[in-house]
Amino acid sequence: MKGFLDYVDGNSVLHRLNPMTKLIISFGLCASCFLTQNHAVVAAIALFDLCLGALAGISRRSALIFISLLKLSAALFLLQVFFVRQGNILLVLPFGLRVTDAGVSFSALFALRLAAVTMPLSLMLSITRMSDIANVLVRYLGIPYKYAFVLTTAMRFIPLFTEEMAGIMEAQTARGVRFDTGNFFRKVRLLLPLCVPLLISSVRRIEVSAISAELRGFNLRGRSSGYKRYSFGANDAAALFICVMIIVASAMI
Amino acid sequence: MLKFEDVYFAYAGGDTITGVSFEIGRGEFVALMGENGAGKSTLCRLCNGLLKPSSGRVAVCGCDTARTRTSALAKYVGFLFQNPDRQLCKNTVREEVELGLEYAVADKAERVRRRDAMLELFGLDGDREPFGLSRGERQKVALASVLAPEPDILVLDEPTTGLDYRECAAIMGVISRLNSAGTTILMVSHDMEVVSDFASRALVLNGGRLIGDGAVRETMRARRVMNEASLLPAQIPSLAMRIADLGAEYAGAFTVDEMVSAAANARGSARP
Amino acid sequence: MIKIEGLVFRYDGSPRDALNDISLDIEEGDFVGIIGPSGAGKSTLTYALNGVVPHHYSGNFRGRVEICGMDTAKAGPEAISKYVGSVFQDIEGQILSSVVEDEILFGLENFGIPRGEIEPRVEYALKTAGISELRHRNISSLSGGQKQKVALASIIALRPKIMALDEPTGELDPQSSRRVFETLKELNERHGLTIVVVEQKIMMLCEFAHRLVVMDEGRIAAEGPAREVLRRGGMLEEIGVNIPRIATLARKLRGLGLYDGITPLNLAEAEKMMRNGRQC
Repeated sequence: MKGFLDYVDGNSVLHRLNPMTKLIISFGLCASCFLTQNHAVVAAIALFDLCLGALAGISRRSALIFISLLKLSAALFLLQVFFVRQGNILLVLPFGLRVTDAGVSFSALFALRLAAVTMPLSLMLSITRMSDIANVLVRYLGIPYKYAFVLTTAMRFIPLFTEEMAGIMEAQTARGVRFDTGNFFRKVRLLLPLCVPLLISSVRRIEVSAISAELRGFNLRGRSSGYKRYSFGANDAAALFICVMIIVASAMI
Repeated sequence: MLKFEDVYFAYAGGDTITGVSFEIGRGEFVALMGENGAGKSTLCRLCNGLLKPSSGRVAVCGCDTARTRTSALAKYVGFLFQNPDRQLCKNTVREEVELGLEYAVADKAERVRRRDAMLELFGLDGDREPFGLSRGERQKVALASVLAPEPDILVLDEPTTGLDYRECAAIMGVISRLNSAGTTILMVSHDMEVVSDFASRALVLNGGRLIGDGAVRETMRARRVMNEASLLPAQIPSLAMRIADLGAEYAGAFTVDEMVSAAANARGSARP
Repeated sequence: MIKIEGLVFRYDGSPRDALNDISLDIEEGDFVGIIGPSGAGKSTLTYALNGVVPHHYSGNFRGRVEICGMDTAKAGPEAISKYVGSVFQDIEGQILSSVVEDEILFGLENFGIPRGEIEPRVEYALKTAGISELRHRNISSLSGGQKQKVALASIIALRPKIMALDEPTGELDPQSSRRVFETLKELNERHGLTIVVVEQKIMMLCEFAHRLVVMDEGRIAAEGPAREVLRRGGMLEEIGVNIPRIATLARKLRGLGLYDGITPLNLAEAEKMMRNGRQC
């Protein structure tokens, strides 16, 4: 999943939308998933997400994200399905576990939702620059720049931390620590002490970031400092209209 | 000791290795040279099984790395990374040095003996906190903990980057003493002066292929290989090539002292 | 341009002075290389130039640092950074955006550069750093050398008079390091910037810097044109500063009475030394 939060440069209709529109649409699609109780609607929204991915020219990447989300959803489905007691019993298992029709329905909806809710957010991050998101949050929503900056910086640091952690694990394996074991719990137990080097290198790095930001006038920045202007055009209006329609439809079905 | 047989490696987002074969014998000191992205780090990671070859075979002390876990190979192959901070995770230098031994040596008394021997060899204070030390000291602690299990081969990925001259000399001093005592060394380095001072054989990588394998003295002089790999030889051999027309003794000079004696002899013979 | 008088600085909680009575004058258009063992106070000296000391890191600050006539202890870090641009060793840490263009816009937006001036400045910065074609790239997809050039460009766009760099090539290989220094040389010669750079690679400094400052234990141990500083080879080795092999060669030849000329700073000069030295 390396780089799945990275921006993918492009010039599609979706890329050219106002960043605020993109934010609203992705949250609108998330809301729709929770408004509806209908499996088919959630599945349709997930399908719509994939179509949007294709429209943005990142169909391969969105398919990959979708598949890994489905794997996670399947795991959650299995975790839940045995523990719902209501409904007609479909299957009785040892240790007092049972599978009911209500359980299957509830768990399936939950799992589908997870995939359908995460997709629009990850799509939005793929086709919108972090700086654009920060700028519109500051300009339209009046969020102080400092918070927007913290958000974008956190997003930027995630892959750096993952990389650092992989490097640390590699170094520890090379000196004989048994990270190459298949046992998940043993691995977690070995991982805990490594938080120390990760923390120390992160604090050092954040210190440099803070100085670098300060020396480039971070504290002078005001609400109107953004250089880029974001226009709101017919495409945005159309996109928002479609989004509203989806929300209304999902609330009614 | 270490044998690559027609090794290929390809991985999305990483450097590739294409058809590399070589063999390193016991007690050799080999430098691995090449531009960034030439595949040096990938090749190092193939040595201890952190990466497994897509085809071909890598054997360390007779073990096929594809069939052995990296953590099990750690007792044959010591691996020092460029950034010591990724290796250090304990509260004291003493625990840090002992960590590698936990997996390699079963006997507690033996562990203590080896640990204390390492602390003494490096002149380290066992009670200090690793993260409170300077970069050079941290590199020493990392090296000590890698060496404590007494590996047969030591793989060093740019061990002197980020160190000042004195720290660099201290680390290289220890490495060179180990080599004299029989440890095999494979070292990645960008510093041609370090390579020319310590290594006897050089492997040159370019775009994942092995384009040079020979004595350091000859390799630094092999213009075609050095150019192809975008490497600049160390200063004295560079100078020797520029003034090769002055005579064989100048052309063959590799160290400062050899260059001085070439000049002294030329002057002596010029006198009647 | 830069005037440091009797500067003493001790970080809060540290048992010893990081800088101990530093006095240094740097003229406009100079290219100064700072070298010395780790812990000698090199980074702290660059912090004193860009105002990080005493504004970001507090401590006991005595003496005076004057940049373009401005007392850094009184001016805020933002006021100082209009004159002094800073680049650090930790490439990933100092970069704040995910796309090259945004990284360059960051400072321009903050300092409220007029809208009409922003685009020409972005283009100028990218061009000077030699990375015009990377403008829309994701920074995470670039090599270390390219990233460091992005950091340089983000500072160039702010048009500082002075550039203070703390081991900008510490994480780079020789070829990329060289390219960074060539960019600095161009800024210095063509655009008149004053460059102050901390660097461990002495050969790079010998070739590019006009003047060397050797630091040891918070003091200036030697200072002057590279050629003069290198003549004191023994003292440098004692401090723990590597000296180029051709300088050692010159010293040994001199000792034997085989050479009596200048200390060579590059291979061309070393070649001349060997050819002419034969006759002397």
